[in-house]
Amino acid sequence: MIRYVAVLLQTLVAMALAPGLVGFIRWLKARLQGRRGAAPWQPYFELRKLFGKEAVISHTASWIFTATPFVLFGTSVLVASVVPLIIAPAGRFLIGDLFATVYLLLLGTFFLALAGLDTGSPFGGMGASREMTVVALTEPTVALSIVALALNAGSTSFSQIVSHTLAQPSAALGPGHLLAFAALFIVTLAETGRLPVDNPSTHLELTMIHEAMILEYSGPYLALIEWGAALKLLVFLALAANLFMPWGIALWLSPAAIAIGLLSFVAKLGVLAVAIAVLETRVAKLRLFRVPELLSASFVLALLAVMSTFLVR
Amino acid sequence: MPSGNLGLVVMVLGYGAGAGLSLLAPSDRAARVLTAIGAAIGCIGGLIAASSVLVTRVPVDATFGSLVSAAGGVAIHLDPLGAFFLLLVALVGLPAAVYGVTYTSEYEGRHSLRLFGLMFNGFLLGMSLVPCAANIFTFLFAWELMAITSYFLVMTESQYAETRYAGLWYAVMTHFGFLVLLPMFLIMAPGSGATAFADLRTHAALMSGSAKSVVFLLAMVAFGSKAGLVPLHVWLPRAHPAAPSHVSALMSGVMIKLGVYGVLRVVVDFLGAGPAWWGGLVLAAGSISALSGVLYALTENDLKRLLAYSSVENVGVIFLGIGAGLVLQSYGLHTLALVGFGAALLHTLNHAFFKALLFLATGNVLHEAHTRNMERMGGLIKGMPQTAALFLIGSAAAAALPPLNGFASEWMVFQALLSGVQIPQPDVAIGAPLAIGVLALTSGLAAACFVKAFGISFLAMPRSEEAARARESHWSSRAVMGVLAAGCVGLGLAAPRIFDGLFRIAGSLFAAGSSASPPAVGRLWLAAPNGVAQVSPLLIAVAAALAIGVPVALLRWRGLQWRRADTWGCGRIQQTARMEYTSSAFAEPLRRVFSELYRPTEDLTINVHPDSRYFIRSITYTSAVVPWIERAFYDPVARGMRACATQVRRLQGGSVHLYLLYLSGALMAALVAAWWFR
Amino acid sequence: MIADPLSQLVMLGSSGMLLTALIVLWRKGIPAYVTAYRWQSWLLAAITATVGYYGHDPQLYWVAAVLLALKGIAIPALLATMQRRFGAEREATPYVNTETSLAIAGALVLFAYVIARPWMTITTLPTRQGLPLALALLFVSLLIVVSRKKAMTQVIGFLMLENAIALLAAVGTYGVPLLVEFGVFLDALMGFLVMQIFVYHIHETFDTIDVEELTRLRH
Repeated sequence: MIRYVAVLLQTLVAMALAPGLVGFIRWLKARLQGRRGAAPWQPYFELRKLFGKEAVISHTASWIFTATPFVLFGTSVLVASVVPLIIAPAGRFLIGDLFATVYLLLLGTFFLALAGLDTGSPFGGMGASREMTVVALTEPTVALSIVALALNAGSTSFSQIVSHTLAQPSAALGPGHLLAFAALFIVTLAETGRLPVDNPSTHLELTMIHEAMILEYSGPYLALIEWGAALKLLVFLALAANLFMPWGIALWLSPAAIAIGLLSFVAKLGVLAVAIAVLETRVAKLRLFRVPELLSASFVLALLAVMSTFLVR
Repeated sequence: MPSGNLGLVVMVLGYGAGAGLSLLAPSDRAARVLTAIGAAIGCIGGLIAASSVLVTRVPVDATFGSLVSAAGGVAIHLDPLGAFFLLLVALVGLPAAVYGVTYTSEYEGRHSLRLFGLMFNGFLLGMSLVPCAANIFTFLFAWELMAITSYFLVMTESQYAETRYAGLWYAVMTHFGFLVLLPMFLIMAPGSGATAFADLRTHAALMSGSAKSVVFLLAMVAFGSKAGLVPLHVWLPRAHPAAPSHVSALMSGVMIKLGVYGVLRVVVDFLGAGPAWWGGLVLAAGSISALSGVLYALTENDLKRLLAYSSVENVGVIFLGIGAGLVLQSYGLHTLALVGFGAALLHTLNHAFFKALLFLATGNVLHEAHTRNMERMGGLIKGMPQTAALFLIGSAAAAALPPLNGFASEWMVFQALLSGVQIPQPDVAIGAPLAIGVLALTSGLAAACFVKAFGISFLAMPRSEEAARARESHWSSRAVMGVLAAGCVGLGLAAPRIFDGLFRIAGSLFAAGSSASPPAVGRLWLAAPNGVAQVSPLLIAVAAALAIGVPVALLRWRGLQWRRADTWGCGRIQQTARMEYTSSAFAEPLRRVFSELYRPTEDLTINVHPDSRYFIRSITYTSAVVPWIERAFYDPVARGMRACATQVRRLQGGSVHLYLLYLSGALMAALVAAWWFR
Repeated sequence: MIADPLSQLVMLGSSGMLLTALIVLWRKGIPAYVTAYRWQSWLLAAITATVGYYGHDPQLYWVAAVLLALKGIAIPALLATMQRRFGAEREATPYVNTETSLAIAGALVLFAYVIARPWMTITTLPTRQGLPLALALLFVSLLIVVSRKKAMTQVIGFLMLENAIALLAAVGTYGVPLLVEFGVFLDALMGFLVMQIFVYHIHETFDTIDVEELTRLRH
């Protein structure tokens, strides 16, 4: 029982942190680019404002359009409750393993792409088509990164992977681990719509992907989607952080351990957020048809990661 | 009479009555109803027989030695594996039959519904008898009955040239498969003339390794052509769209699965699995089918062809499971191998449900929109909301989204492949991650494909008059689709229990298998072979319902204000359907990415003004994806056939005496051969 | 399961070398190729030195120093000069597009693993885990040479091939005799100089360094 409460609390913390993470990256990017930028807590104000607004729905839209924000937000919350963020108790983790998480995220994306098509806007269709292309091409990389991790840990369940890495710190510096991390980081950029795959800060380029799909959303619906997307970013970063550098995560439910877990979690997220902000300042967006090249490169990285775990057999 | 035998009798009588009575029916309307009643009774009989075998685990036997005694008589033996496939026929056959009552009403006066009824019931009977057959003659008879009747069903709308062409492909491919079956059984049969499957099984144990391998290869070709494995799939995307939708549902949901049955029966049951390269070959065939199936489905604009290619993909996934099982079995990892076979069976069952649902929903769409071209559809969700919701469930299941049934079986196939890394030989084990990569790419592309199938056909604005006028179909067709959709959800949620049973069915194929126990943990959890990775579709469904329901409730409680307005149009006055993203446009990015696989042909004609090339009168752009696999494999064969045919034509002298000479020559040659090889 | 520090480092370094070759397949600008080659040579020198340190073979330090000086500094500098002279030619349309090249590279890596497997099982060298990676580097370099059109890319592919052979020697024999390494290296240097002259001539004749143009010489 206490475990479920802990997981619930952890999910709430993730939900609370997610907009702040996005705001922090935006603020840091602005600073790096020599602008002052909005304060890191700006997204919270935006969410509050959006929740208070009236929604506008296209005449063309059907129930898919209004259901999608809830599905997207719900799957993001669900995934946030499944992955190890602050605590990683042993044993089975709530509802599933890494593969299940990947498919849950795919469920949200599936509906979002349908909603993009639903309004009949050419932008929505474009975004949906591109999003599904990118997602389909990231799947093999995700799967192989999971395999690389699972080969070391002997399981695709989170707690097993985390505790295995904690038990063998030297494995974390092996090429298999590093390459899988690199592959998963590229996937994170692609799945969460960051540069160089997608530009999160524009609505007006023909190169946009995620923003094109949600162009028709407004009011509380938009708030849910933005929040869900922020949560997805947090979850991906948390996966990258905790699967590859799990130190500090709370393995049992004592207050001290949880406090350390929370602190280390925030610190790890901060480091990755800085990495993303720096990266987004340094690189330009790739042309759409060079994105598959990036993704195939990440696939080869994941393949190498798998192979190098075979090397020591 | 035990319930198993009773069920079989009811089944045969039902189908027989359906076939006979519909042929004698006084009116078209009566023929439609009688067809369905007969088929439904037959399906219920099959259901009784199959479930009694599956519950009691006692096989049903029946022999009619005097019936065609020269070929060994008709023999029936229904074991758990056969019962599973019989169940599949009955479970999909029943909704298809009920659906057919209203669906075939548009054929009244145009096609013979009496003949249709005969063929439909004959088709169901053939499919039901294949898994029951216990000797070579019965098997081949049922196989051929299934092939011929389905050929006539495909040819229902034979007024279209496209249908006749599809029928030709289908007839050629299905008989090619039949021709390969004969030498396969010939090699397996012991010399004494025994043709019972039990004799084949005992004889297979005595066969040499190379003979077994030949049988394996022949089985893969013969049954692979029925199952639609690439490159033997060519008939599938042609024949499935041409057939009436409920027949397509049966063909895609059940008939191609009997190819899977054949492989399991011959390769696993008779030959007892084999060396590792068998599994490797099956894995390769499965990977290629899964990937190329989904890739061609993606570029397809014809909704039924899209579904047919998606069947090729799913058969590929099933064969990935079987291949994993074969490889693992060859390394003695018996329990893990059973997980592979069990996963394949689970996906077989799940695919039957969601593909049947999708084909039936497509049937409704065709009925209203009068086209299979998705670029003429759109906005159907407004006119036919229930069909749209049902199609969405089928699409989500086909895209393997949790908590629906496609997810459960694909997760199991993933875990079966993942356990391939436990093979002690690392240079074999490294193939497992590769297969996982292929499967992951396939499932990602399948999601893209079904976003397109549902989104382009049902959402946004209608692209044609017919699509705008589309209305909901008859309630009975929606009701049967509802049953199938409930099956998609229920099979997903109950997957752990079902997998448990399928694992045992797979175990029953091996003498030693009965001792292995499935890796399930409790009733809620699907578990990986090592027991550590687990997933619970039911808990996912509950948690997802909570995670989605709570925000809905909160927002409702706070009060959600909204109003309707036009779609934002960049300042354009009016949004029209011409501005929407089309099916081709949706698939364009992926078509570019995989251009080396698609090899699209592009043709750009720019008609400029004679005075200045800067004034353009018209631009014509056509682009088509012609599956080069088909060209590469079949063009040489077709050319060779044609060349042979021209050679053979020389024999045709037109003189009766010459033909008689041939006949007597052939007789002599046969006698000499018989004397020589005695 | 846990590898000792030497094999861990060798694996890391060899993976890095393989990655630099993959960068050539991925990127299109020739300056990036030169940088990739430079990193690769540095990694090679580092691996050689590491093997020398753990194998207590001071001779290898000399090899590493020479590698660093020539392959890590001199040749990249020469390449950069050549590149500046030819301007911003890019590998825009290789024979095999980038995605497919990378996919083929992945397949080659697996192939190298399967090929090197028997070899790995018979040796007990602590560096044996580098063997498949070195072999994979060899294959990927060959892929670069085969699939790319610009003469500069082919020169770099050839140099990477040479690096692969050096890596194979370092991990396959647990250290190379100085003399052998110098022999191979001189060969490669001669090859490089000859190719340099060729590239200049191609450039002068066709005003591009696209090797495809050479087919025009047939007439």
